[in-house]
Amino acid sequence: MLRILSILLAVASFLTAETPGAKPSFTVGWSVYAGWTPYHYLMQSGIMRKWADKYGITIKIQRFDYAPSLDAFVAKNIDACTMTNMEALDMPAASGVPTTAIIIGDYSNGNDALLVRNGLQMKDLPGKKLLLVQKTVSEYLLDRAMTINGMRDRIKQVRLINTSDSDIATAFLSDTSASATVTWKPLVSQIVKQKGITSLFNSSQIPGEILDLTVVRTEILNRPDGSGQRFAKALAGAWYEMMARMSASGPEADKVLTAVAGGSQDTLASYKEQLSTTKMFFTPQSAVEFGASANLKEKMALVRQFVFDHGLLGSNTKSVDEVAIAYPDGSVQGKADRVRFRFELSFMKMAAEGKL
Amino acid sequence: MSAGVFAIHAKPGRHTTLVLSWFLFVAGVSLYFYTSGARHRENPEDRVTPTVAQMAAGMRDAVLRPAEDDEPLAEGASLMETIRHSMLWKDTRATGLRFIYSMALLFPAVLVGLHMGLFPYVGAFLLRFVLFFDKIIALSLLPILFIAFGIDELSKVMLIVIGVTPTILLDTFNLTRGVPGEQVVKAFTLGASDFDVAYRVVLKQIWPRVLNSIRLNLKAIMLFLFAGEMIASTDGLAYRIALLRRHMGMDVIIPYVLWVALLLFLVDFSMRWINRKLHPWFHEA
Repeated sequence: MLRILSILLAVASFLTAETPGAKPSFTVGWSVYAGWTPYHYLMQSGIMRKWADKYGITIKIQRFDYAPSLDAFVAKNIDACTMTNMEALDMPAASGVPTTAIIIGDYSNGNDALLVRNGLQMKDLPGKKLLLVQKTVSEYLLDRAMTINGMRDRIKQVRLINTSDSDIATAFLSDTSASATVTWKPLVSQIVKQKGITSLFNSSQIPGEILDLTVVRTEILNRPDGSGQRFAKALAGAWYEMMARMSASGPEADKVLTAVAGGSQDTLASYKEQLSTTKMFFTPQSAVEFGASANLKEKMALVRQFVFDHGLLGSNTKSVDEVAIAYPDGSVQGKADRVRFRFELSFMKMAAEGKL
Repeated sequence: MSAGVFAIHAKPGRHTTLVLSWFLFVAGVSLYFYTSGARHRENPEDRVTPTVAQMAAGMRDAVLRPAEDDEPLAEGASLMETIRHSMLWKDTRATGLRFIYSMALLFPAVLVGLHMGLFPYVGAFLLRFVLFFDKIIALSLLPILFIAFGIDELSKVMLIVIGVTPTILLDTFNLTRGVPGEQVVKAFTLGASDFDVAYRVVLKQIWPRVLNSIRLNLKAIMLFLFAGEMIASTDGLAYRIALLRRHMGMDVIIPYVLWVALLLFLVDFSMRWINRKLHPWFHEA
């Protein structure tokens, strides 16, 4: 009896004990979007494992729906996550979870679009029904479209109907009383196939404003044992090995792209079509260049004003400067003691210089 | 017999009952504040578990500030005026109207169920189909609902009706079948017509149980209503919750959820009260 008990105890202690040499483990969350689906392939192909082993850590990759992935990141259940610059600002950063963008993956270059029925024009939109997922980049796109067309003061007259993204395509196509919609690909491609629907504005007219990032909690990067730094290096290394494979041409690259598309149950043709409206930063050099440009600050200034105006920083945030953004050159938008979101180029730089 | 604490015959005193019945409330609330406090110590800007002060501030805004899409109020508007332009009022009104419409549409289902149970031809015609239809998960058919009913109020009300009607139908059907056949025979012997039997003998005595069954389905009704509002709408309590979730506005979401619970409790309570007043002879839970 005693023997059985001691064996059981030994097994239990073996199962639960954190052996001193255990590798630090990290989790990356991603959701389906042209610029993020490569994470699926990173896991499938073993590229991520290779880089994690190189840095002596374990990296798990997990797929989420978009909103839950943000919730998980804010709740600190996952260590890194894919999200847009806007959500990085209004979800984790505004909830007091300092966040650092370590990979600037791409920007939407036509993926998001404002679609209308019966050849409506911009000036016809006030008073019309428009379906969109409110308080997301869709509303940002609408806001920018109206502003650029000199109709900023009439935005409130558009009748916005908050519609879940899983149903927005059918809802718009079946309800002819809705005159317009703002949504993203692949839904956009599905909707414009219908007769009489045209695209009035898309994100290629505001290049570089809707960024797709991989972000890490800043506290992870600052871990004293340096495992967080190794995690970021492994991510950047794996990511740019992946980008090199995707951007190659020929049948080999097609095979990779097919596998990537499979991550979202998509076909090669459809995925290529989405990539055509996504400005991917295939090389770390191009991403670093974009991240270091003054352009980035201008675009972020627009985005942060938008999230503040729409109350997305929370009702307690009295000024747009309360959630400050730090840039690679050391400059800060907002109060210097309230930096919650930073762009970090060093990992992409290391990838560019082949130092990973 | 010893009346131990866990014996069926145990008789807890008045104070013990009071303490016991509130214990889980207190435990839940304290656990929440403990977690909230711990999270706020670690991260003062935490939004996942707001403090009481944050929730109070959020709620005050919801009740006293005009809704985002509303015209700004004239200076010096009365308190009542302010409340009527507030977010909470507008949302409650929109959701309440949908709730009332769908309840109104549920009552015909009671009559259909009654007829199914009493009239063999109606039963033969409907029973099998309703049994099948009851098992359809209405939410998964949303695209078809959109095409059939548009994305306005109708589709949300229909979602509830499709989701809850079969349950009410079958329940009424079963209750009707449960009325002893002797009573029906007796009524006929006394010269009642078909409709006398249906409405004055059977319906009269199943009515309190039917009301009870509708009451027990309140939660299903609310569930479908919330699902509908989260999918496509411009107002309503669930619409607001869906929007606030997008930036973790838990300081308003938690009071909203409690408000909905309170409203549901009141509806439930008043239905029980009406049932007791209408049918004082009926004694069942």
